[in-house]
Amino acid sequence: MAEHRIAGTTDTQPDAALAAYLSELTARLRGPRRRRAAILTELRDGLGHAAEDRIAAGLPPERAAAAAIAQFGTPQAVAESFSGELAIAYARRTIACFIATGPLVGVWWLLLLHPSPWRTGLIALVAAIPVVPLILIAVAAAGATLATTGRLMRWLPETNPRRALTGTTAIAALCLIGDLTMITIYLLSGMPARPLAAVAIAASLTRIASSITTMRHATGMRHP
Amino acid sequence: MLPMRPELLKGHLDALLLAVLEPGPQHGYAVIEALRTGSDGALDLPTGTVYPALHRLERAGLIASDWHTVGGRRRRAYHLTPAGHAALGEQRAVWDQFSTAVTALLARRPWPSTA
Repeated sequence: MAEHRIAGTTDTQPDAALAAYLSELTARLRGPRRRRAAILTELRDGLGHAAEDRIAAGLPPERAAAAAIAQFGTPQAVAESFSGELAIAYARRTIACFIATGPLVGVWWLLLLHPSPWRTGLIALVAAIPVVPLILIAVAAAGATLATTGRLMRWLPETNPRRALTGTTAIAALCLIGDLTMITIYLLSGMPARPLAAVAIAASLTRIASSITTMRHATGMRHP
Repeated sequence: MLPMRPELLKGHLDALLLAVLEPGPQHGYAVIEALRTGSDGALDLPTGTVYPALHRLERAGLIASDWHTVGGRRRRAYHLTPAGHAALGEQRAVWDQFSTAVTALLARRPWPSTA
């Protein structure tokens, strides 16, 4: 903690007060780990600055640290003020993950259940893989949420954290329904067991676990 | 001077933060101090208002940040992006119109009664 010691002091008591404050804040922040770490690093610097300003104004280090902490607000208030940005960060990261890994799951089902070569078009694809409409809805919801929580929000209506979490939960639920549907269709089809089917089912089961975790986290962040 | 409540600034905080960052990069605490000193103490905004608002502006692409190590502490400094400069210009024009209209109405005094 030496590098975080308030400049101009050798007393560790003010550092301990700041460390205790940040420790309590750490316990209250919820969201992506790296984002939380960045917030804490930034606030640690700000608190140090605030304390140094008061020491320069003549306060003893202990009172300077206490005044800096009072200026920043209670850990609960600060954590609540960051909850929206952390929720948006969680939603954007999770949705990006679903978009990136979606094809890695879908490709196995496509290889396994692709329509006959002489049947082309969207109707043939939906007949072979009935969850295609769900995928399209999920992709549209993902695109809309990413667009209205990122740089495009300068031109589009901004999505608030609560709606971003709702969108994330809905996307995870659509993936969950899609994966369960595909596994059920395959198991009821009476198709002969193939290694490709095992890979497709394993990929879907992995995403089911991930979708359930996402729904749990997103709901927890909406109702802390 | 009475400190202003943060909710009074709703809709104007983005422009204020962009204006504070216009002269050059600043870290979060310096932004809070610049708002306070630049308004003669009227805009003494809480940390919980300013830091998340800076993060939101960065998400919107109006500001960007860089990390530096100063005096052994990691420090995040924010600066305006070209989009932020453009947005600040637009918001200044909107504020000029708005403040002129509001001042015209609020500054109006009833005529003294002649009865």
